[in-house]
Amino acid sequence: MKTLKLHLFFLLLLLTGCSIDNYPAPDAQLFGTILDAETNEPVEQDIIRGSAIEYIEHGYESQTKQLMIFKNDGSYRNNLVFSNTYSIAPVRGNFVPVTPQDVQVNGATQLDFKVQPYIRVKDVKIEKVGTKVVASFKLQQTVINNVRKIGLYAHPEPTVGEPMRTALAEQEINAASDPNKTYQIELDQAANSNVLKTGSQYFFRVGAIIDAPESKFNYAKAVRLAL
Amino acid sequence: MKILNFLLLLPFLSLSCKAADDNAKPVDPKPVEEVKYDTTGVLFKSYKGLVMAGYQGWFTAEGDGAGRGWHHYQKGGKFEPGSSSIDFWPDVTDYPKTYNTAFKYANGETAKVYSPYDEESVDLHFKWMKEHDIDGVYMQRFVSEVKGESGKKHFNKVLANALKASKKYGRAISIMYDLSGSVSADMDFIVKDWEELQKLFALFDNKQNPTYLRHNGRPLVAIWGVGFNDGRKYTVSDIQKLVEKIKGPTKKASILLGVPYYWRTFGNDTENSPLLHTVIKNVDVVMPWAVGRYNSSSYTSVAGTHLPGDIAWCKTNNIDYAPLVFPGFSWGNLKNDKSLYNQIPRGKGEFLWKQIAGAKMSGAEALYVAMFDEVDEGTAIFKTKKEGETPLNGDGKFVGIEADLPADYYLWLTGQGAKWFHGATGYGAQKPDRAQ
Repeated sequence: MKTLKLHLFFLLLLLTGCSIDNYPAPDAQLFGTILDAETNEPVEQDIIRGSAIEYIEHGYESQTKQLMIFKNDGSYRNNLVFSNTYSIAPVRGNFVPVTPQDVQVNGATQLDFKVQPYIRVKDVKIEKVGTKVVASFKLQQTVINNVRKIGLYAHPEPTVGEPMRTALAEQEINAASDPNKTYQIELDQAANSNVLKTGSQYFFRVGAIIDAPESKFNYAKAVRLAL
Repeated sequence: MKILNFLLLLPFLSLSCKAADDNAKPVDPKPVEEVKYDTTGVLFKSYKGLVMAGYQGWFTAEGDGAGRGWHHYQKGGKFEPGSSSIDFWPDVTDYPKTYNTAFKYANGETAKVYSPYDEESVDLHFKWMKEHDIDGVYMQRFVSEVKGESGKKHFNKVLANALKASKKYGRAISIMYDLSGSVSADMDFIVKDWEELQKLFALFDNKQNPTYLRHNGRPLVAIWGVGFNDGRKYTVSDIQKLVEKIKGPTKKASILLGVPYYWRTFGNDTENSPLLHTVIKNVDVVMPWAVGRYNSSSYTSVAGTHLPGDIAWCKTNNIDYAPLVFPGFSWGNLKNDKSLYNQIPRGKGEFLWKQIAGAKMSGAEALYVAMFDEVDEGTAIFKTKKEGETPLNGDGKFVGIEADLPADYYLWLTGQGAKWFHGATGYGAQKPDRAQ
């Protein structure tokens, strides 16, 4: 009898547990772009192992951190957000750390982040020279830290970056960059013929990483080249 | 019985997810007419572009008239070999008035010190500032000291000396209240003391004190020691009220707040109180305390992203930012621990220049140099004795500046930083060469 009662109780609990709660479904969208505060240009990102967006929904004791990621072009979007106030900040990124801001998310809410990218990769030229892909570019760093390394990355997809490449050429720098210097990196197609096939198109992207805690690569836009 | 247990648990299963109630919106205060100052002839209308040092001025010597004995030189009531709180020994060669001490040099000569209670000594300090292009100083006003009559007498005399010298040499001057050791009840004392000082010295009188530092159109006063998590007996909320009282409804003064290094992220040395940011947003300048937060090898990894992060925060919130730089740190005698001699080595100025360049290249517009005359913690930039030429100190020692540097080297180097902040070209990450 006791067991039956217990079973009945569980059944009751299950039924109540399954009833639809009276909270609204996620009805808001949050989107925007991470922008260079000085140039107003989007700050290029990585889709894997890249900068993240951390947000905490207000009104809960737990202060649970939720995460979003950026696309390569620095944009982000979440179409399933509960309308509420959130503390939001881009974190662990390729920019000077910022403090979270409190944002009211309601309906379609656009929130752009203005940041100071650690490095601006400028005047980029990527071209095929003989059997090599040659990238030349300048670096403008905005902090006093050393530039750790620079790299040229290749992948069949436009989401190419340091974490997502089939071929790469890198240079260790470990010094402050010279804003007047033109840096050059060569990627040898012949040496990578198994992944860089003649006649195919690939995306190439130049990146540089600053020597700072939890920093991520800064990039120029990816360029498509037919080999 | 088991069912009863489950029933008891039920309330926990139905915890509400309800959002917190909206806070009541504060009512905007009625606008009042802000005070307007006659700034004709005022020499320093903004802290921006200036390099200023902190000026302790707390030393006294036996016989200087202050009646405070060997204040801040002595330890345990004695200023004699083996008993001293200073690590660096002031080089008093140029001082018109000096005092014999119980210390001797290796050649048997008596070692001498100075007292800022003497007008001549403070005059000399300001003369050095002018010689080296250092813009001026924040006169430290220790609340725990000036609460007493003897302390008040001393610091008022030093301030009188400094105001006179600042006018003579055209150096900027401002008051900085150091709240170390204060309690909540002292906030009213500070308000009263600050009012008293304004009257006593006609601080805001553009003719009498044209060198008193202004910022955002008002005289600037600094409050140091807000938001530290080191068990202080006053709160951020106390400071919020103090700031309001000092400004008054007519916004009489601009305020610089001295805060912990990790004020922006509430990390390490900082009390986790969001109110700190509210208070900071309500002042004019923020100056984080960087002494001891890094050394030469850790500077870039600590400050490299921290500094521009601070500057960006301040820009967003429309307040100004003054990073602190210091030449090194040493407090072996103060702490009775020989391992603390030269705890943060100066590296012949490399460490100081790294910070000056780091601040400038990160976008800072003003500097706070800790400190002009601090020999207890060995951060002084003024003339001190060199290694190998310091007085004997029982079984301990005095730390000197590097033997191959001239006595005024740190004044000179700070001055080079000041020239850079004034807009001179040719400076960069490389420490300037004095021979050039």
